[in-house]
Amino acid sequence: MDPIVSTSALIPATVAVPLGGAALMAAFSRLLPRWARDLIAIAVALATATLTLVLTASSAGHPMIYWFAGWRPAGGKVIGVDYAVGPLGAGMASLAAVLASAALVYCWRYFDSARGRHHALVLIFLAASVDFCLTGDLFNLFVAFELVAVTAFALTGYNAGHPAPLQGAINFAVTNSLGGMCVLLGIGFLYARTGTLNLAQIGQTLAGRPASGLTVVAFALLAGGFLVKAAVVPFHFWLPDAYGSAPIPVCVLFAGVMSELGLFAVIRVWATIFSGLPGHPEPRMRAVLLGLGILTALVGAVMALAQTQLKRMLAFLTMSHLGIYLIGAGLLTPLGLAGASLLVIGDGLAKSALFLGVGAVQHQRATVSETKLRGAGRGLAVTGVTIALGALVLADLPPFVSSAGHGLLVAAADQAGLPWLEFVVALCVVLSSGAVLRAAGRIWLGWGDSQVTPPETGTADDPGEEAEDRPDTADTGGERAGREQPGRRQRVPLTMVLPPLALLAIGLGLGLTSGLEEHTAAAAAAFSDRAAYVAAVLGTRGGPVPAAGQVTVPASAGLSAGGVLTDLGQVLAALGVAGLALSGWAAGLRRLLAAGTGWLRHLHSGLVGDQVTWLVAGLALLAALGGWALH
Amino acid sequence: MSVLAYGVVAWLFLYGVVTSRNLIHLVVCLSVAQSATDVLLLEIGYRSGGHAPVFVSLPVHPGPAVDALMQALALTDVVVGATVTALLLALAVQVHKRAGTLDPNELRATRD
Amino acid sequence: MSRRARLAFFAVAAAALAVTLGVGLAGLPSFGSQITAYAAMLNELAPRQRHVTDVVSAITFDYRGIDTLFEEFILLAAVAGISVLLRPLSDEVRELAEDKAPDRAIPPPSPAVWLLAVLLSSLLALTGLETITHGVLTPGGGFQAGVILASALYVIYLGTNYRTVERYQPDALLEASDGVGAFGYVFIGLLGLLAGEVFLSNVVGLGVTGNMIAGGTIALLNLTVGLEVAGGFAILASEFLDQTAVIRTGRR
Repeated sequence: MDPIVSTSALIPATVAVPLGGAALMAAFSRLLPRWARDLIAIAVALATATLTLVLTASSAGHPMIYWFAGWRPAGGKVIGVDYAVGPLGAGMASLAAVLASAALVYCWRYFDSARGRHHALVLIFLAASVDFCLTGDLFNLFVAFELVAVTAFALTGYNAGHPAPLQGAINFAVTNSLGGMCVLLGIGFLYARTGTLNLAQIGQTLAGRPASGLTVVAFALLAGGFLVKAAVVPFHFWLPDAYGSAPIPVCVLFAGVMSELGLFAVIRVWATIFSGLPGHPEPRMRAVLLGLGILTALVGAVMALAQTQLKRMLAFLTMSHLGIYLIGAGLLTPLGLAGASLLVIGDGLAKSALFLGVGAVQHQRATVSETKLRGAGRGLAVTGVTIALGALVLADLPPFVSSAGHGLLVAAADQAGLPWLEFVVALCVVLSSGAVLRAAGRIWLGWGDSQVTPPETGTADDPGEEAEDRPDTADTGGERAGREQPGRRQRVPLTMVLPPLALLAIGLGLGLTSGLEEHTAAAAAAFSDRAAYVAAVLGTRGGPVPAAGQVTVPASAGLSAGGVLTDLGQVLAALGVAGLALSGWAAGLRRLLAAGTGWLRHLHSGLVGDQVTWLVAGLALLAALGGWALH
Repeated sequence: MSVLAYGVVAWLFLYGVVTSRNLIHLVVCLSVAQSATDVLLLEIGYRSGGHAPVFVSLPVHPGPAVDALMQALALTDVVVGATVTALLLALAVQVHKRAGTLDPNELRATRD
Repeated sequence: MSRRARLAFFAVAAAALAVTLGVGLAGLPSFGSQITAYAAMLNELAPRQRHVTDVVSAITFDYRGIDTLFEEFILLAAVAGISVLLRPLSDEVRELAEDKAPDRAIPPPSPAVWLLAVLLSSLLALTGLETITHGVLTPGGGFQAGVILASALYVIYLGTNYRTVERYQPDALLEASDGVGAFGYVFIGLLGLLAGEVFLSNVVGLGVTGNMIAGGTIALLNLTVGLEVAGGFAILASEFLDQTAVIRTGRR
């Protein structure tokens, strides 16, 4: 029996369990009491998390190829659809499952309405994310992409009683569905050229022959569509609108999983399909991806500083970090990819903790405006600590996972001969974490002036869940009663305090795991090895797959003195930025920032027509850059 | 030449999306552009003189069949497009109620 | 951006995109020349291997069945999403005082329209059932038939007043149909696992080509998908109609 092809029931179970659970919940939600719905949903999510974690461990040696409906390739030609399970993909799927579980626990008090229908949506989102990470078929990737998108659109507009979430959802839906259209077009073009939909077989067919115009355009369309989801400049304009107004547990899913999926797809498509093109496209493609990553990281960091609405600030912080992941993955080396992967995990946990913390504040104070919350942190001490810690972890506080990832990224940049990238990354991280720390200082310590940047950011303040979703309006006739006392409420519920702390603890635990860097580097090397992947999928070479080239993790990465010092330096710098922003120079600094970046803020108009125009421009730009890189 | 028709349609309706002053109009433009993509898929799978990939009641010399795979893909995309359209229309209904307008250029709730 | 700036920017970007698309489209094999080897192979294999005459059904539910599973859940997610988006909010009521005024009674439907609606509805239901069951033989199948079945319900809405019909609408049944149909697909996939094979393997007897009950799990999957789509689209319409005909914003 071929050691690569797997018939383990574990693999389909990772999608069958959440899908089956979601279907049953959708069918019988009327019959179940509320606590049963919550409990079942959390149980299903945790089960999925267990399954995906087991898969991550068992696929560490070699990829596991699973052929659905038993259609194995015949004579090197693919007939059916496959899952190509590798540790990187399975790890990403595990992250999705863990974050979904945390979000569902949090939802216990957040969505208190009598008919909580969000369970099915969250579980379907999870199943689609898992499929996205594990699949080896291009069209299956597209279907999963669309499923993630559809559930996300609906969840964004959950607070349908306010115009901001609705507008955010519309901008999100229009731009992302155009992105999906681009992906489908790209798939059509590639199919016409290669006659197959399987990633490995497409790559094999395209390898060795010079890229035609059709191939370049297909690349531009595929990458463009996925980069819309990944919110890379100039496809990013929908992100602050959507993340700034979606419900908090949904933001956790978005920030931790959804955007990263877009980047995952770009790198996957590159690694399996386009990396085999002749003419050494790597250096030029590296330049393209790095350029986009640097731009995204910088724009995100600067815009985060200028925000006073907390969720929108976190949205831009997410975008900035996405740019950093693109920098890491865009180096197109296994070491860079490993660094980006660890950053995705560590930052994903920390960003989710931040969003959940902000959600607790919103639940208690009915606002997320930094200005209105000045000094209002009394009584929310644990949440304050969570938020501050989360911001520091995002600034690569050792020994959390993020600092390990950062170390690998720096090492990769050095190896690629681009040491100045470290400064760009450090700058962005410091600015975005500094913004969050500034907000924390203002809210909990009451520091800073009461006057905030005029003009006030336009995005409507977000008072949180709908009135009928609040627990104190559960009895009828009290539709408006809950809103009359928006101030003091009881203590923050445990289901809102524990999940963020748990996520941070997981980040710490993983960071302390020995050998994490080596395992991730090996996983990244396997991910990037096109020849081995093709051989495994098509079964053209019997017997064991040749091991991917060994990737040595330099000693300078990881918990070395140099790495720790650099990370601590970043943390201190972030604190410094926050301190500056709360000091007497704050007003002057704000004026400086506004003068320098007012045009940038003006561009983020929230108008869908503008966003689509940028999308079209971005596509054309990608096509030109792709043509230069691939020819 | 017929593949060019798809390109022109999608391109034109992108213009519709960008300059739209009514959300319903925008959604319909998006839907047409999506349908154009589906037609392109079918065009890629077409074969001159071919018959549908349904092997029942065929004439004596049936000739080749067209690409059934592209038809399956187009079917899937039709469902995807329909569901996104439905979601967008639901959002439009709520926006009209809450913001009082259907003009996307008048929606100012998420600007910076 | 101002409207003029946006238009100018778009003009440039769209021109560049047009060039890109032109290059792509020009690189396609000439229209109608030939189909790919993969497609030709499927056209040849499917009737023999799966005993069906409609190759598209075989591809949708067998060779690429996992894609269709997720496609079905896209529909489920959209229906659930629309139920969430259009749910009655705290400041909305289902009836205003003035709706109950004596001179605001809803006029009964015209008997001719009602008769037409009943006839049409029956025909549509029959057509829907026929399309589902013949999905393995001729173009059709679960998705298409589900929409036809749902439209049988729409015609009832058209033939009478929604507010009257709304009382008798089996909401719980439609939701159950939607969810159970979706679950059915997963369950049939699991049957493959239980039979010792892979997820979504065709483990039920394949039957004889040309029969209605052929293709093994393909026929069964047609049924579950039809169930799901019919329930889903019915819920969809009722949600939108609720917004139009029933839900009133409390403030005037």
